[in-house]
Amino acid sequence: MQFFIQLTLDGLTIGSVYALVALGYTLIYGVLKLLNFAHGDVFMVGSFIGYGVLQALGGAANPIVPVWLLLLLVTLAAMAGCAVLGVVIERFAYRPLRDAPRIAPLISALGVSFFLANSMQLLFGAQQFNYASYNLSGGALYFRGFDLDGVHVPLLRIITIGAAFVLMVILWFLVNRTRTGKAMRATSFDREAASMLGIDIDHVIVFTFILGSALAGAAGVMFALRVPTFAAVGFTTGLKGFTAAVIGGIGSIPGAMIGGILLGCAESYTAGYWTTAWSDLVVFSILIAFMIFRPRGLFGRVDIRKV
Amino acid sequence: MKKAMAIAVAVVAASIVAAAASGGQKVASAAQSISCSSPMKLAMVTPITGAAGFLGTEQLSWAKYAVATLPQKYGLKVQLVQGDTPVEQGAAPALAVAQKYASDPKVVGIIGPSTSGDAEASAQTYFQAGITQISPSATDIPLTYTVNGKKLGTPAFFRDVPANNIEGPTIAAYIVDTLKAKNVVVFDFQEPYSQGLASVISAYLTKHNVSVTRLSAPNTTTDYSAYVTKVPSKTDVVVFPTQQPPAAQTFAEQLVEQGKNAVVFGGDGADAPAQFKHAGDYVANFAPDISGIPADAPIIAGWQKANPTMSLGSFGPPTYGAVQLMLAAIKVTCAQGHGTIKSRADIYRNMKKVTIKNWILGGTFKWSTKTNDPLNAHFYIFKIQSDGKYKLVN
Repeated sequence: MQFFIQLTLDGLTIGSVYALVALGYTLIYGVLKLLNFAHGDVFMVGSFIGYGVLQALGGAANPIVPVWLLLLLVTLAAMAGCAVLGVVIERFAYRPLRDAPRIAPLISALGVSFFLANSMQLLFGAQQFNYASYNLSGGALYFRGFDLDGVHVPLLRIITIGAAFVLMVILWFLVNRTRTGKAMRATSFDREAASMLGIDIDHVIVFTFILGSALAGAAGVMFALRVPTFAAVGFTTGLKGFTAAVIGGIGSIPGAMIGGILLGCAESYTAGYWTTAWSDLVVFSILIAFMIFRPRGLFGRVDIRKV
Repeated sequence: MKKAMAIAVAVVAASIVAAAASGGQKVASAAQSISCSSPMKLAMVTPITGAAGFLGTEQLSWAKYAVATLPQKYGLKVQLVQGDTPVEQGAAPALAVAQKYASDPKVVGIIGPSTSGDAEASAQTYFQAGITQISPSATDIPLTYTVNGKKLGTPAFFRDVPANNIEGPTIAAYIVDTLKAKNVVVFDFQEPYSQGLASVISAYLTKHNVSVTRLSAPNTTTDYSAYVTKVPSKTDVVVFPTQQPPAAQTFAEQLVEQGKNAVVFGGDGADAPAQFKHAGDYVANFAPDISGIPADAPIIAGWQKANPTMSLGSFGPPTYGAVQLMLAAIKVTCAQGHGTIKSRADIYRNMKKVTIKNWILGGTFKWSTKTNDPLNAHFYIFKIQSDGKYKLVN
């Protein structure tokens, strides 16, 4: 039982990161019908911004502010930086192609992905950057927490999972309970009709990129608090976030969250009960299976086209 | 339409002929004779950027120092060029770099490639161009030994450090005899260096009645939580032969996070005191701390003066030694050719004639008569102290 709980905890932790990445994919696809393959690299940039801010605040060993404030500032800075990056990407890589055939922005997205990964590698090298969160408050993030049936649940994991859940709730509230959210939903449903009704489509799309990219920034920090980050980390994590979005039903906010958690758990259980060598194989087999047998995912809606 | 097709076929045919002609030219230029009084190039092929950049940077600094100080002693003029092979990109950069140097007739030798995977991928390209390689850190066994009927190195490939068949048993013997471990987990990262090392260590441990659990992770893995979960709680030692020291640090921290007390044992790829510094863990490396060798004092002082911000590590000195061996072999070849290197291949043919007294790693360097490895080389084991420093324990 302990083994199962530990694997579930592992799955929930990494799944929360995938979920945050998937939320960005799903938001942008929902509004723009664009698979933003640069999203994983925005996540990577977020983890780098977090690292820079952490170092500027004295690093994990000697922070100049309390730990809770340090984590908050690092996360907010990454979210803000990524939000700006998202706006820039939308303005220069996607907006000029908004009326082009669908393949054009898709290729542009791949180009932006490579541009970001290679730029970061040129600027900072390809080495790994470690937040060294183990050194924060003498290991408090690792040693504090609670025990669940003999399994230690450390504070860092509680923060990761909790932050993902809180961000999802905030996002759900923004989309479902605010005027801007209503405009987003209207744009997602029918962009032309929404425009005719007076909705500023450009504003909605920019806001969507701000939200999605800020979530990727938060995911980058949550990820890098536990493991080292590097310039190429966005590609694989982005693909897994995309897979999570497909599993949940691309365009569905709760779907992205549940898809991320399911994917994280699938990865963890595969490694635990079967073989560690094949966990990526299983993850991408799930993607293929969903694409073939349930392309709308668990919570995605079926597009009805009237002739 | 037919006319267009004919033009297309003609263009393709012309391209093939041009490519073939240019290929032939490359081979011809590689075989050109080189005057020993003219400047020649040595290339340092190592990961200068990427997760293993710490290793390449250290090696490069020592190669630069060796090229700045040694050639005049051998009556040669040498320029050092560098090829970057980030480990994250697999063997592709090593192949691209090999093709570039193979086509440059002034490149007479390669210091490297530094990693086993890169050495295996590019060995044939260098061999066909007649270029000698001396790796100061590639330790995979089949590079110089025939394993299961296969040898991945060539007669032009040498290394001045011992192979995994020395490193593996050294680590395993320490685990059995000193740490008295009964339960050991052995990782590999699905690439040649760690797979070879893991196999040797597992075989030794099993033979000595130690219970071994094998785990395999893709070398792109970042989060080791699920792997840590699979490490049985009674495990005494985890052998973690990564080439990315931050991964070893993360793994050690995640073991602690799950309340597991196993000691992490890294190979030479994890030997980076700035990045893998979890107290109580171990690393093995092919070089001792040379600051204890009196004859090396002026060399260390000179290198330190040229690199005031760097600290002495284990990867640099064998690189200095590799340059020294290469220059000595070039000198023999020049003497044989009366001031001319008739073919680059003559350098590797003369390599085994070289011996170096006052070898930077201690004693006299001699090549093994059986393989292109050093004779009687050793691996050294370091324990990480509470201040993160490495202390030689074996």
